[in-house]
Amino acid sequence: MIYTPFPMRVVSKREEAPGVRTLKLEFVRQEDHEFFKANYRTGMFGLYGLFGEGESTFCVASPETRKDAIECTFRQSGRVTSMLSGVDAGDLVTFRGPYGNCFPIEQFYGKNLLFIAGGIALPPTRSVIWSCLDRREKFGRVTIVYGARTVADLVYKHELDDWKKRDDVNLVLTVDPGGETPDWTDHVGFVPTVLEQAAPSPDNTIAVLCGPPIMIKFTLISLQKLGFDQENVYTTLENRMKCGVGKCGRCNVGSVYICKEGPVFTAAEVSRMPEGDL
Amino acid sequence: MTRILPKNKLDDCIAAWQKAGFSVLAPVQRHGMSSFGEVQKASEMALDLILTERTIKDHFFPQTEPLIKYKISKHDIDSETMTPPERKRIFFGVRPCDASGLEIDDPLFGWDYKDDYWFRRRENSVIVSIACSEADDFCMCTSVKLSPDSTRGADVMLRPLSGGNGWQVEAISERGTALCDTVSSLLQEETAQAAPLPRVDGKFDVEKVMEWLADKENFESRFWKDISMRCIGCGSCTFLCPTCHCFDIQDEGDTYQGIRRKNWDSCSFALFTMHTSGHNPRNAQSTRWRQRIMHKFNYYQGKFGVNSCSGCGRCTRQCPVDMGITETLQAITNLPR
Repeated sequence: MIYTPFPMRVVSKREEAPGVRTLKLEFVRQEDHEFFKANYRTGMFGLYGLFGEGESTFCVASPETRKDAIECTFRQSGRVTSMLSGVDAGDLVTFRGPYGNCFPIEQFYGKNLLFIAGGIALPPTRSVIWSCLDRREKFGRVTIVYGARTVADLVYKHELDDWKKRDDVNLVLTVDPGGETPDWTDHVGFVPTVLEQAAPSPDNTIAVLCGPPIMIKFTLISLQKLGFDQENVYTTLENRMKCGVGKCGRCNVGSVYICKEGPVFTAAEVSRMPEGDL
Repeated sequence: MTRILPKNKLDDCIAAWQKAGFSVLAPVQRHGMSSFGEVQKASEMALDLILTERTIKDHFFPQTEPLIKYKISKHDIDSETMTPPERKRIFFGVRPCDASGLEIDDPLFGWDYKDDYWFRRRENSVIVSIACSEADDFCMCTSVKLSPDSTRGADVMLRPLSGGNGWQVEAISERGTALCDTVSSLLQEETAQAAPLPRVDGKFDVEKVMEWLADKENFESRFWKDISMRCIGCGSCTFLCPTCHCFDIQDEGDTYQGIRRKNWDSCSFALFTMHTSGHNPRNAQSTRWRQRIMHKFNYYQGKFGVNSCSGCGRCTRQCPVDMGITETLQAITNLPR
């Protein structure tokens, strides 16, 4: 039935940053897993939940090239995420999905990639990053610009180390002014500023941008300055959701249902949406 | 010659339908409010009402609907998906606006992911509409291109006879034909005039409204602030609307067991779109009212080719501050352009 979730077993829990955790979830039933494997594409989202608490919407942070389990990263902020923060390996939670559209990764073949993420928006970006890095030969240069408020707020720190070591990835890390620690050797500054300093070429390049609304707003301006065409800039939108399948009527921006026509949009598509509804 | 259902045969009809396994629901006046409820006899029906205060939507998309029953123990969670009862129902005496409302919502509940809760009920229901013989000042079906005898969404259409002692019977769908067959011995072939339809004056120009709403410039117009100033955000208009379909999903229970429910929700409420972060894309009553109008007369049209309004007028009739859609659409119609 349409609103019935899949039971999921928690494999592991990882502390990412203060209040931010990643859960790795395994399907309890084989048929649910087969359904997921047949349908999941990077960019899609799910509703994660606990009976008695409810469901929360976040992205699937694991890439489409690794479908053995689902990873999700979330900040403890409301009722559901607080209870999800308290689960341990072996516990049962629920998942509904995968819902929504996806990044058209095949269309990115042969192009350079520029990933830009802010704070807790690395997980959705990371899903695309690994979907591409797992097929590294199909893409040109890969640049990742990632920033957080403070050093402690950077998530997926172990993967940042991996990317830093790779010579086929250019990782640009930054923290907001005041967020650096004495041993911080990377950039200090806001993402748009650091992006403009790094000045990646827009030629034959796709940009994937995820972050809080204010960061997206200013980063889009920076991308425009750098010469990026809005059609080549992809981002994800989020809104409160209950059903995830276009019926409960709340996640629309203008006429666009984020849950069905999104969450992945080009900057050109976003620019056509009414700003007052975002 | 037309087929006639005489009023004095209605009890026999109900009995025949019940024998065929149907429950019969009709307009009733119960608990101080008119709505659709199950009846055993024709005398229980309130067929003279212009319109029930509550819509038949309640019986397809209930105010609260159990989705999943769950039980939590130390190492396991038992959950059981709940399904609506498979019950064959006849809705007798549905007004054309309410019948249209069901058809308007079908594509929404069906696009891509099928809402089984809605469709299981739809598939087990027969809609017997009765054309209106009276209208009030709030009725606005003609403004949304329907009429007091529109057959949209109806399986059978009944038209009251001039004398008031029966109805002309017209089967609209296959389901309606099958239903008429179950009572064919009670129907009579007669020459009888249908009563004249009531006059429902046009309240607004829906084409002009749609054109104005489609103009992106108007999204930020101060018109929205002015027109929604007295909206108290109570949500009555959405709950009484035959096409409003927004809902919430909530778990209700104690620590160890409970039920996940699908409950009516309303775009009038601030919490409807509030993010956990505190950001709210529709943070003022004016933006929420704009959403309601845009959804009904622009977005829904774009997605499903139909406006999400069947002109019943309940939103205005029962608004505690006398506001409603009609006034807004009238104002849009009359805006200088």
